[in-house]
Amino acid sequence: MQLMKKWYLTAGILMVALTTISISCKKNNDSPSDNGMDRKPMLENYASNYIVPAYADMVQQLSTLKTSIEAFTGNPDATTQAAAQAAWRNAYITWQKVDLLEFGPAYDKSLRTYMNIYPVTISKVEGNVSSGNYDLETFGSKDAQGFPALDYLLNGTTLDKYTTEPLAANRKQYLLAVIEKMLQKTTEVRNEWNDYKTAFISNTGTDAGSSLSQMVNNYVLYYERYFRGGKIGLPVGAMSGVARIDLTEAYYTQELTKELALKAMNSVINFYSGKSYDGASTGESMKSYLAAIGTKDDKGTLIADLITQEMNEALTSIQNLDGTLQNSIQNNRTAVLNTYEQIQEVVPLLKVDMVSAFSISITYTDNDGD
Amino acid sequence: MKQKLTNILSTQHFGKPVYSASLAVFRIVFGLMLLFSTIRFWAKGWIEDLYINPKFFFSYYGFEWVKPLGDYTYILFIVCGISALLFALGLFYRIASVLLFLSFTYIELMDKTNYLNHYYFVTLVLFLMIWLPANANLSLDSLRKPKLSKRFVPLWTVGSIRLMMGTVYVFAGLAKLNSDWLIEAMPLRLWLPANNDMPLIGPLFNHVWVAYFFSWFGALYDLTIAFFLLNKKTRPYAYATVVVFHLMTALLFPIGVFPYVMMVSALVFFDTKDVDKLLQKIKTIFRALPVNSVYNNYTFAPIQQRLVSTLFVIFFAIQFIMPWRYLLNKEELFWTEEGFRFSWRVMLVEKMGYAQFVVKDGTTGEKIAVNNNEFLTRNQERMMAIQPDFILQYAHHLHDYYQQRGIQQPEVYATVYVAMNGRRSRLYADTTVDLAKQADTWKHKNWILAFNDNIYGL
Repeated sequence: MQLMKKWYLTAGILMVALTTISISCKKNNDSPSDNGMDRKPMLENYASNYIVPAYADMVQQLSTLKTSIEAFTGNPDATTQAAAQAAWRNAYITWQKVDLLEFGPAYDKSLRTYMNIYPVTISKVEGNVSSGNYDLETFGSKDAQGFPALDYLLNGTTLDKYTTEPLAANRKQYLLAVIEKMLQKTTEVRNEWNDYKTAFISNTGTDAGSSLSQMVNNYVLYYERYFRGGKIGLPVGAMSGVARIDLTEAYYTQELTKELALKAMNSVINFYSGKSYDGASTGESMKSYLAAIGTKDDKGTLIADLITQEMNEALTSIQNLDGTLQNSIQNNRTAVLNTYEQIQEVVPLLKVDMVSAFSISITYTDNDGD
Repeated sequence: MKQKLTNILSTQHFGKPVYSASLAVFRIVFGLMLLFSTIRFWAKGWIEDLYINPKFFFSYYGFEWVKPLGDYTYILFIVCGISALLFALGLFYRIASVLLFLSFTYIELMDKTNYLNHYYFVTLVLFLMIWLPANANLSLDSLRKPKLSKRFVPLWTVGSIRLMMGTVYVFAGLAKLNSDWLIEAMPLRLWLPANNDMPLIGPLFNHVWVAYFFSWFGALYDLTIAFFLLNKKTRPYAYATVVVFHLMTALLFPIGVFPYVMMVSALVFFDTKDVDKLLQKIKTIFRALPVNSVYNNYTFAPIQQRLVSTLFVIFFAIQFIMPWRYLLNKEELFWTEEGFRFSWRVMLVEKMGYAQFVVKDGTTGEKIAVNNNEFLTRNQERMMAIQPDFILQYAHHLHDYYQQRGIQQPEVYATVYVAMNGRRSRLYADTTVDLAKQADTWKHKNWILAFNDNIYGL
């Protein structure tokens, strides 16, 4: 009994002591509460300095593309075709900075399915051209429109199909319909972001519906499925063991494929580190938030820095591939598989380490592996 | 020995008569809590999400035969809900308590993905309650059969519930005595900032010292609270602490009804005399209440008493041993989770994983990358990726599935990455081991790769 009393006393004193320490600590600590761990500035930076300008630019690029496609269909010759091809190329490069933003309004609109599902299914495109009867709004049309369809129609189709061929009028019509749909959807997303921005910034929680969770989930999903899988994994056959260059992005403009992948990897890095859309400034980001939380590897390196390091190595690895991506896959598949491995290194760091440190969870459903 | 046991259970010791009011009140609040919990579970659509929609269920070792019952699973929950209500009302108590124990336990055994320490706690308490005269007071049974109505019960009846509560708290506290929790303030250091947008106290969570304070206070609380609740002088403060502490955890973490279960369960620590007084007072207002006001004792028949007390001694012996079984394995417990469950390791580790399975045709060498979501729900996948017994069960399932699909001698390989308590993720399982050939035993699984770090303490 005596012992019990002593035990209570000790425990009681400890509790009081701890409380006192905590209160005095609180008084001494006059620094502002924001030590890089507040999520609002991060969301603010992403929304104002990246996402909103990104969609504005995308709409701009698509408008330019639309104008040149109209010029081409109005007067199809080599000059107008080349101009349309150039505008398409610019817009496609810009898209690589926007594709990773499929959350919020873009998610609601399924923007990607109108913009960049590849490979394009030629039979669908040709079927639509010849029948003149199609609905690009439907999910089934996702592989008959967007940049890949334009690639086929502008770069994989000879000029005579727009001039002398009996279906030329239909084909021009289809070309216009595709760019019109892309512009319409992107404009809708841009407009909705103007309203959504405030809600996005103020939803500072970490639950499944929070801005951070949605953004991170879709960013990681993009990296894993659409970047790693779509751009490199599936074409090189990392999982299946069978190389399929027909699955590459921009298949009809093969000198562009690697550039698109590089641009996308660059965007992944810039977005992670909080660079503004124009690249001129840097603000609060997933990286700075992760650094503030401060998780480290066993050598004492911040996980936040490790991710940048691994991402840069992936970027270099893509840069070092010789010639077009299609050439590399056919002639030096091992090198591309190594690049894939390098890209893969980042996946657990994002999907496990970062997500775990953020106390959120991966909520998206995995698609097929690659 | 026999003599000793009889002695211990005599009216001077554990058999001392105490007011039955405590046990009765505990029965009511616990039963209502379970009724509420069942309704909540149903209302959230979890029966469908967790027990009807999934195509595959992770079963407990030795309980592979316990499976969801398809649409009849709803009936199981109806049985559970109704028996919880009867349990609370004290109507057909013996049958109700058995049914409640069985249905609740069956539900828990259907898929270990949904294992929660507090569900396990409920199961154990329900098991104890089956044997106790909790319907002796404030029950419809005592109206139905006035002979059942007793004002006093032996101390050990209430005592065993208190001991159960104390066991949970103390072991939860012991589990926190490790270097990650105390020295690194992990995982609270990660979990608290996630709540830094809470009004008023939110900004506090940006400071590491708050994580330390919560870690140390949490450990101290768990280790000592049962003793403070037992002591008459400290009890009111201790109970206030219980309420504040569990409200805090309810606010911070998605742990459902657990905080409330503990808050109401801790009422059992109050002096039975005071509870009785309160009931007598209430009876002066609500006269119809079946509150016993005469001086009569509930007595177990000697053989019954011997049986139940032996059962309880075995029960608690198991409870005291279970949390230590991890000592049989040399590897880090938090990493391998071998001996982690049923040990009151509550909200102790932040762990996240990612598992990519590949099935290889043993004859052609052809490989198939497995899409986990064809087989598992998001939640199942999340649990699977960090626990080796899940990984094995899943690997065996994949083997069987692909064999049926005509793959010859399927081999199953997995690339699993796990990050724990802020450490960098590392490869968890040997990628060269055909998991379909590994058996799930109680021995250490050699294909789990080394943790390569040390966590000191218990």
